[in-house]
Amino acid sequence: MKADNAIDLVNVTKKFDEVTAVSKFTVEIRKGEFFSLLGPSGCGKTTTLRMIAGLEVPTEGQILLEGGDVSSTPAYRRNVNTVFQDYALFPHMTVRKNIYFPLKMKKISPSEAETRIERVLRLVNMEGFGNRLPQQLSGGQRQRIALARSLVNEPAALLLDEPLGALDFKLRVAMQKVLKDIQRNVGITFIYVTHDQSEAMTMSDRIAVMKDGLAHQIATPDEIYNNPSTAFVASFIGDMNFVHGTVLDNDGKTCVLDVEGQKVTAKRAVDLGKGAAALVCIRTERVQVNPHRSVENRVSAELSRIIYRGTDYEATCRIGRAELRAVVQAVTWDAALRVGGTVELAWNAEDVIVFPREEEKDVIKYSGEAV
Amino acid sequence: MKRRISKPGEFIKGVPIAVWLLALVAIPLIFTFIMSFYSSSGLVIDRTLTLKNYKLFFTDPLYARILFKTIRLAVAISMLSIAAAFPLAYMVSFKVRRGRNLLFMLCIIPLWVSYLVRIIAWRTILGNRGVINSALMALGLIKEPLTFFLYNQFAIAITLTYICIPFVFIPVYTALEKIPRNLLDAANDLGANELRTFYNVILPLGLPGLVTGFIFSFIIALGDYIIPLQLGGTQGIMFGNLVWSQFGFAFNWPLGAALGFILFIIAVAILGLTSKFGSTEGGFLGE
Repeated sequence: MKADNAIDLVNVTKKFDEVTAVSKFTVEIRKGEFFSLLGPSGCGKTTTLRMIAGLEVPTEGQILLEGGDVSSTPAYRRNVNTVFQDYALFPHMTVRKNIYFPLKMKKISPSEAETRIERVLRLVNMEGFGNRLPQQLSGGQRQRIALARSLVNEPAALLLDEPLGALDFKLRVAMQKVLKDIQRNVGITFIYVTHDQSEAMTMSDRIAVMKDGLAHQIATPDEIYNNPSTAFVASFIGDMNFVHGTVLDNDGKTCVLDVEGQKVTAKRAVDLGKGAAALVCIRTERVQVNPHRSVENRVSAELSRIIYRGTDYEATCRIGRAELRAVVQAVTWDAALRVGGTVELAWNAEDVIVFPREEEKDVIKYSGEAV
Repeated sequence: MKRRISKPGEFIKGVPIAVWLLALVAIPLIFTFIMSFYSSSGLVIDRTLTLKNYKLFFTDPLYARILFKTIRLAVAISMLSIAAAFPLAYMVSFKVRRGRNLLFMLCIIPLWVSYLVRIIAWRTILGNRGVINSALMALGLIKEPLTFFLYNQFAIAITLTYICIPFVFIPVYTALEKIPRNLLDAANDLGANELRTFYNVILPLGLPGLVTGFIFSFIIALGDYIIPLQLGGTQGIMFGNLVWSQFGFAFNWPLGAALGFILFIIAVAILGLTSKFGSTEGGFLGE
């Protein structure tokens, strides 16, 4: 709980009747950080954001804004502003009046307000739109105005609730860059709610991955991708293979497992004893097909399906009852490979992640592939 | 909003509405208008065109006085109805979580009861041996029944207000229900407390409903003649009674038609003015 934190959540819990939406959430968000709350719908990320905004009151726990307890401060007195999912622009006010609204509430003088409105319109690249009504703007433009309106008071933190959810793919990618640039320019802490893992990965300094009201992992995108703390995080971010295995040997640094009769080595600390049922995870793009270099893990498999995806190929291979997918760059793909043929799959021991088998229930399956 | 008829045959769709309007609104109105230039001698209607009826309206101050009184009362009744219905609609729409539909039904249930029955009910409430007087006498606050409740403008105002409340409640409630709830969150988030949210967001966005409610109650109050007849007493004669008596008692249909037409023109003028101030289409919410 350092004073230079923008926001501290301490054991924040929110219950709606008997349903726990957020459970004992503790995090320190640093000043100027781009922090994302990531998770599937119903994971409690929006509730967490609304509690920071003051639109929901936590059942338990404390919320600190720049070191001061704001747990019982109403939203209209908190120095944070929200960009809502569908923008929530006032339809009866022009763009200028929409942006003027928070200034008027703070009793900023009209001349000062005018300067600030112009500045913030320039920031979001919407100069000259001041006299339009929200209905006369496109989705992306409304998004920028909502952003301008939330930034004009220079809040301690800007809260964004799936702000790009309503935009089409191309515009969304463009707006991600705009948002990131604006955040760098103004240096304000951004707290960003999204269910889109790639959005969170590309924009965030740190991510809290949530499920069922629990924060599974709070870490940098790199850490979350390479060292997921639970099977849920491993499955929610990136493309991951999950296969069943049994621990043969574990010395705390290296873990040797049996997967369908073949030996798989994991070079990392695994908290499982000999004979324990394990869930073995390997990123699809880390699996090599018929590699030239020698690596720790080599298994032979039967090629059961090939999908061409433009930049890469996805090869599904069968090892006994288990299936492993390998994503191979199109330029390095061996065109001689055919479905039904035998291939050798290989991957580094550092790339093997092991979880207890119980966590299998948390695994999110996108492709419908059996584990 | 510019509407364009895209296909040549499209106007067919408008024909039933046009026929309906013509038969039920335009033609009777035209007949009334023509009738207002006839005159009546005894029980016979003289069909020579004359401005006699209109001349009478403009020369005899009685008509203008009653017309003015009626407009004033109708405006007062509309305001009272809004004052009663707006907070009600606001509560039901924003403050109640469970049983909203039930409350809504309760608010409009008076519409299911006959208009006349409700008027008689008010007579028994306000009368000499009515609910109010009996209660006050039982409490020992008064010895003699109070007579100022009934047979005056007060009785007309209170009863017509009661009649009008559902007609204000429905459009206001509908307008309030249409306000996206995240606008309230946004206002709150941007520094507005509940009161300022009300003035800056809810009221302006609810205004079209308020204007519609005003128009409904104003029209009902302006033309009503049954309530003044039942509860108004001698000082409670409204313009509607004047029109009605020309058709009913005096058998001077041409004068009745002229007075009716004047009332119609005034109603249209006031509605035209009002709707400019707050309709969604009139540029308030813009396009």
